[in-house]
Amino acid sequence: MEILSQLILNGVMAGALYALMALGFNLIYGVTRFFNLAHGVLAAIGGYAFFTLSKMLGLNIYLSVATGVAIAGLAGYGFDRLVYSKLRKRKASNLVLLVASLGVFTTAQAALSIIFTSQFQTLSETAGQEALSVLGGVVTRTQVIIIFSSLASMLGLAALLNGTSFGKAVRAISDDEEVARMVGINTGRVTGYVFFIGSALAGLAGILVGFDTGIQPTMGMGLLLKGVIASIIGGVGNIYGGVLGAFLLGLVENLGIWMIPGEWKDAVSFLLLIVFLVFRPQGIIKR
Amino acid sequence: MKKTFKALFGVIALISLAAGCSKSGKEAGEANIIRIGSVGPLTSDLAYIGENMKAAVELASDEINSAGGIKGKKIEIIYEDGKCDPKEAANAANKLINIDKVTAIIGGLCSSETLAMAPLAEKSKVILLSAGSTNPGITNAGDYIFRNVPSDSFQGVYAAKYVRTKLNKQRVALLKCLSDWCLGVNDSFKAEFVRLGGEIVGEEAFPQDSRDLRGQLVKIKAANPELVYFVSYTEGTIVGLRQMRELGVKAPVFGADAWSDPKIWESVKGDGDGAMYLEPANKAYPEGFVDALSKKTGGKEINVYAPRAYDALKILASVMETAGTDTVLIKKGIYGVADYKGIADNYTFDANGDIKNADYSVREVRGGKAAGAK
Repeated sequence: MEILSQLILNGVMAGALYALMALGFNLIYGVTRFFNLAHGVLAAIGGYAFFTLSKMLGLNIYLSVATGVAIAGLAGYGFDRLVYSKLRKRKASNLVLLVASLGVFTTAQAALSIIFTSQFQTLSETAGQEALSVLGGVVTRTQVIIIFSSLASMLGLAALLNGTSFGKAVRAISDDEEVARMVGINTGRVTGYVFFIGSALAGLAGILVGFDTGIQPTMGMGLLLKGVIASIIGGVGNIYGGVLGAFLLGLVENLGIWMIPGEWKDAVSFLLLIVFLVFRPQGIIKR
Repeated sequence: MKKTFKALFGVIALISLAAGCSKSGKEAGEANIIRIGSVGPLTSDLAYIGENMKAAVELASDEINSAGGIKGKKIEIIYEDGKCDPKEAANAANKLINIDKVTAIIGGLCSSETLAMAPLAEKSKVILLSAGSTNPGITNAGDYIFRNVPSDSFQGVYAAKYVRTKLNKQRVALLKCLSDWCLGVNDSFKAEFVRLGGEIVGEEAFPQDSRDLRGQLVKIKAANPELVYFVSYTEGTIVGLRQMRELGVKAPVFGADAWSDPKIWESVKGDGDGAMYLEPANKAYPEGFVDALSKKTGGKEINVYAPRAYDALKILASVMETAGTDTVLIKKGIYGVADYKGIADNYTFDANGDIKNADYSVREVRGGKAAGAK
């Protein structure tokens, strides 16, 4: 019994992290309609920004988290201004944007390796985190923070999209960019803000992963893949679907290894992706 | 069309220019320089140990060159990053063999690197001498493949005997990464442990780059072992030990020689206390060596492999002193090395290019530092 509840808890924790990645990914996809692969490296940028501020410069931990998240957001905004917006102006196809984002991913990851070396770094200071017992299993304090940050980000994003004129503009662009522009929405600027918010969420995910396990420049690809799978099975472009997909993915891959060896965890996630692509390509919630 | 042609012409001109330059550059120094490659992880998993070994090779080559080189020729070491990855190591070996025309390669550290380079070195008759790869498969990897570190067929057996008889544990769970080295050590431990009447109550594996071992650990905890034999490189070990503590896995852990990386114990702080592992027993280092190497590494702690990497280049140089740069003769020379007094060990090579002696010391972690076990 204990093993089952622990696996479920592990699944929920993994799901909370995937949800953060999926939220930003879906938000950006909704507005731009391309698979922004560079989304993964923004998690690494967030993690390393925090690492520099907190560990190397000795800044206060909360200030470091906030600044780290903002730096990831700015980096995402910068990628949009420097690369994607220029390509969009030239009416480049989404395939071109996808390839460009892969280029951004690789370049940024290499830059991180050059600056910080490729070594694995742990962010948390405490040894032997005291674990809290929940429902017959254990969770660490970091994991509690992860799940609350994830839920808070989701609610905050929902409030932003539904309750503000900015949110209205984002939804309008998601529906039809041409029309949105015709009614006077500055689509370029709104897209830039969307990149900032989405990337900041990825940066937060990166920092949390750093606390939970650790950071290294190549951490982005794994997170990106899980975020993308969560988005696709949740309904690509739909931020609520993405969150559902993330928790489903986390639970399935962690429960999946109950009976089979743990080394097949990633295989389980991709199997879930294939099942969805074949039987329910629109995802849990249709956009 | 004209534009494309021009561009094409430009590219071809550039490439031939670059090729021409590098070629003429090589030939100029050919007569009085011996090139030797060095491959090991300089980034990624085990980079900490890889950089330490690189510094040791550098130290050895400085000493050889300042003593007049080999038969009056200076040696030049070309360092490549194997990234603890078979594909990267094979690329590095191809470059070293075909472009730099090296006589020998010191490396790799990870067994997957060495196993990937072995067929390339064997085919081109280039000497490959590893100071850190311990997978049993390297024993039969080829005539030109050597190592001056004992094979894991010794290590797994030694560890199994120690755990079964000295620590008196009966029920053991295995946790291992999926790499040539991890699987090699794990399998030899398992076979010997079962032979000695022990019981394997759980066996879990994880991809080498995985940083989330919680699923595997939950299952190991449920199997309730008396000890966990945990074979992993630096990064997997750091997260594994932390997650064990988090999930409340109370059984003691026993690891293999990759745990001689001090980075692990610095990173996990108290979570590593009580952990034990084996490492090849090195001799006491001569005076001056530790200082000279520390100067190269910027004061980083010297791990067990760096002195062996130093010895590897020195053995090679001593053989080349008589054999010259003819790799067939060098190969013969290394097989004939008997009781060579290195700084880490005394080496005698057997007919497979392995060293004959294998002695280990058991290390125990206390207060974030490894020391000899009681």
